[in-house]
Amino acid sequence: MEKSQWPYENRAGCVTRLQADVLVLGGGVAGCMAAAQAARRGQSVILVEKGAAKRSGAGGSGCDHWESAATNPCSTVSPEALLKAMMDDNDGYNNAISHYIECREGWDALLDIERMGGKIRDTEDEFKGAAFRDEKTKLMFAYDYKSRVTLRIWGATFKPAMAAACRKLGVRVFDRVMATTLLTEGGRQGGRCVGAAGFHTRTGEFFVFSAKAVIMAMSRPARVWLFSSGHPGLCEFRPLQCAGDGHAMGWRAGAEFNMMEKSVQAEFSAAGRSFPPYSTGNNHNTWYAASLIDAAGRKIPYADRDGRLLKTVEERYLPAPGQDFFLKGGAVTQAKYEFEGPETLPYEELKKQGYRLAFYADLSDLPELERKVIWGMMVGQEGKTQVPVYQNFTEAGFDPRRHVLQCYGTGWQSAQFLPKERQLFGLPGGFMNDWDLMTNLPGLFVAGDALFASDCYGHAAATGSYAGRKAAAYARKNQRLPLCEEQIEAEKRRVYAPLSADPREGVSWKELNEAIAKAMQNYCGEQKRDELLLSGVELLERYEREVIPKAFAANPHELTRLLEVFDILTVAQVILQACLSRRQSCEKLEFYRPDGDGAEPAPFICLRQEGGRVLRRQVPLDYAGDVKENYEKHNRDYIEEKEAAL
Amino acid sequence: MSEFLFRQTPPAEPIQFDGEKCTNCGRCLEVCMIDVMLPGEKHPIAAYPDECWYCGCCVMECPEGAIRLRHPLMNQTRWVEKASLLKKEKE
Ligand SMILES: Cc1cc2nc3c(=O)[nH]c(=O)nc-3n(C[C@H](O)[C@H](O)[C@H](O)COP(=O)(O)OP(=O)(O)OC[C@H]3O[C@@H](n4cnc5c(N)ncnc54)[C@H](O)[C@@H]3O)c2cc1C
Ligand code: SF4
Ligand code: SF4
Repeated sequence: MEKSQWPYENRAGCVTRLQADVLVLGGGVAGCMAAAQAARRGQSVILVEKGAAKRSGAGGSGCDHWESAATNPCSTVSPEALLKAMMDDNDGYNNAISHYIECREGWDALLDIERMGGKIRDTEDEFKGAAFRDEKTKLMFAYDYKSRVTLRIWGATFKPAMAAACRKLGVRVFDRVMATTLLTEGGRQGGRCVGAAGFHTRTGEFFVFSAKAVIMAMSRPARVWLFSSGHPGLCEFRPLQCAGDGHAMGWRAGAEFNMMEKSVQAEFSAAGRSFPPYSTGNNHNTWYAASLIDAAGRKIPYADRDGRLLKTVEERYLPAPGQDFFLKGGAVTQAKYEFEGPETLPYEELKKQGYRLAFYADLSDLPELERKVIWGMMVGQEGKTQVPVYQNFTEAGFDPRRHVLQCYGTGWQSAQFLPKERQLFGLPGGFMNDWDLMTNLPGLFVAGDALFASDCYGHAAATGSYAGRKAAAYARKNQRLPLCEEQIEAEKRRVYAPLSADPREGVSWKELNEAIAKAMQNYCGEQKRDELLLSGVELLERYEREVIPKAFAANPHELTRLLEVFDILTVAQVILQACLSRRQSCEKLEFYRPDGDGAEPAPFICLRQEGGRVLRRQVPLDYAGDVKENYEKHNRDYIEEKEAAL
Repeated sequence: MSEFLFRQTPPAEPIQFDGEKCTNCGRCLEVCMIDVMLPGEKHPIAAYPDECWYCGCCVMECPEGAIRLRHPLMNQTRWVEKASLLKKEKE
C-alpha cells in the first residue's frame, strides 16, 4: 500500500470485536426504530451505520407525508380495508404482512417519533382553519381529506430525534462502519445468522460483531441500470449510500428473495434526464393538488375517475361520489378505477383540446393555506427540499404567488427516461419475510426498504419497530453461538484485497459500475428474452472472474464505493436469475417477456442460494393468510401491552 | 492572467464554503452520510463532490450559515412569471 496524505489514521488490518444481543445493520429510519425498540426491551444493542445516523438514509433530510396511518384517531378507513386496497391494486404482488404492519402500527410508530422529539402536529396553529387540519388533534392530512389516512408531518425533525433517542436508550452507534458480510453458524450458507463484519470507512479498521439476533435495515439496491460517472451521487433517487449491500450480503449468506425480477422504467433521479425531485411539481405526493397550466397560462382541468370535471380546488381532495377513499402517494403511479383519485386530464386529451407544452405547476390560484402548506411545509420538510429547493429558490426570488415552475414531460413529471433505463422503485423486490419479519435464516430479521414490495417512511418506521420487538424476543430465547473464524478471515481478505491491487491495472469503482449499468440496459432492459438474459449472465460472470480480483481502491473511502459496486454486481446477477425464472409477462411486475409461454403468470417466485446453487420456489400470492387473524396471533403480547397502557 | 493550473476538471461544485464565516467546527463533515468532505486547514474540503446527493444536510447542520449548496447548471429548474405567459398569449 502506498503512503498518502489521507487525513485519517490508517488502521487497516486492526480488528475490533464486539458483542450485543441485537445487532442492527443500517441506521436509517427502519434501523433507528428497530434499535430503539430492542433497547427498550432490555436488550444490549449495536447499530452499525455506513454514514452518520443523525441524517443518514433516504429519510435523513426529511419527509413530508406519512402514508397509511389507518389507526390514527381521524382515519375513516380500517387497516384491513386499506391493506386490501393495496393488495388489489397490485393484483396481489405486494407484501401483505409488512404493509398490514404499516397500516396497523404506523400510527404507533409516529407517536413514538413524536415522543422522541419529532414534530407531527401543527402546535403553532399555523394552519388553523385549513380543510386538511383536525382542530382537536392539530393533525394535518394530505391528498384525500375525507379518509385522513395520510398525514402531513414535519419530517425534517425526525431523523436527528430518532438517532438521539437511540443513544439515550444506550444503543451503541457505530457511524462510518460499512457492514460487508453476515456471519452464519459454522460459516454455512443458510445457517443461523450469528453476527456480521465490516470496516471503518475512514480508517479501514475491521469490525466483527457477534449477536443473538440481527436486523437487516440497509435499504434496497440502486445504480443497477442508472449510472453517471460525472454525478454518481445524483444518478438515483435514493442516497448513494443505499446501493444494495444488504441484498448482496443476504444473497451470499443464503437468504431468500422475492420479486427480484421486477423493475420499472426510471422515473426519479436527478442526473441528466431529471431535475431535483420536487423542484418541478410532482402531484403524486408533495405537490398534490397544485394547479397545472399550459404554455399559454390556461388552467388544465382536474377530473375525477369518471371524467367529471372538478370545478373547485376543494374537490381535488375528495373521493368521487360513491367512493370510500382513493389511493395516492409514493407507490401509486396509476391506481385502478376503484382506488383512483382526482387527476389532471391525460395528455392525449389535452393535446386534442389544444393545450400546449410546456406545462407549469401553479400555486398562485390556490387558497392561501393550500399554497402555504405545499410551498413552505411540504416543499421544505420533504427529503432534499429544505435547502436545494425551498431555501435556494426563495433566495433566488421565487414567489409562489407570482411564479410558476416548469414540468418536464407531458404531465407532472420532472424527467423522461428511456424504457431500458430502469430502477428498483414502486414496490420492488427484496428480502422474503414471515410474520415475525424474519427471513429464512434463523435470527435474521428484516425491515424497511430492504423488504420485498416495500416503500415509504411509515412502512420503514413501523416494520423497524416491529422487527426490533421480534428480534428482542428471539435474542431472549436463543443463546449466543460462536463465530466461524474461517469465515471472518475470508471476509477480511476479500475486503482488503483492492487496497493492495495494482493501480495501473486495476479498474475503479466508477468504471465497473458504468459497465454493469450498461450491461443491464442491454441485456435486462424492458423486454426480457432468454438469449439476452443469458448473455448478461455470461458478461457479469466475466466481470466477477476477471475484473473484481484486479479492482483498485486508494483509501477506505474509495474502498467503500468499490465494495458497493461489487454488491451491485451481485444484485444484478440475482436480478438476471430472477428474470430467467419468470416465464410469462406480468403486468404488475412491469415484466415483459415476448418469448413467454403464454400461461397464466406465476405467483411469487423466490430465489436463494444453497451450496452456491440457485434454488427457486413458487409461493402463493396469499401466503400471508388472513392478515388480521395472523397479526393478532403473532402479536398477542403487543396488543396486551397496548391495552394495559390505556 | 493568472498562472496556469493543472487540476481534475470537476463536473460540478455542489458545496462552497464562506471562508469568512466558517469556524472549521467540522459539523457539516460529520453529518454528511456520503462523507463528501475531508478535514481541511481553514474549512472542510469537498474531496468527493461528484458523490454529493444534494440532500442539504450539511447546510442544515452549519451553525454559521457558512456553506452553500448549488445544483449543477443542467439541474436548475426553470420558472417564469405567470403573467408573462398570459401576456405572450395576448400578443
Ligand atoms: C428524497 C426522498 C423523499 C422521500 N419522501 C418520502 C415521504 O415524504 N414519505 C414517505 O413515506 N417516504 C418518503 N421517502 C421514502 C422513505 O424515505 C424511505 O422509504 C425510508 O427512508 C426507508 O427507510 P429504510 O430505513 O429502509 O432505509 P434508509 O432510511 O435509506 O436507511 C438505510 C440505511 O442503511 C445504511 N446502509 C446502507 N448500506 C450499509 C452498509 N453496508 N453498512 C451499514 N449501513 C448501511 C444507509 O447509510 C442508510 O442510512 C422519500 C425518499 C427520498 C429519497
Ligand atoms: S448536500 Fe448532502 S451529500 Fe452533499 S455534501 Fe452536503 S450533506 Fe453531503
Ligand atoms: S458546519 Fe459550518 S462552520 Fe462548521 S465547518 Fe462546516 S461550514 Fe464551517
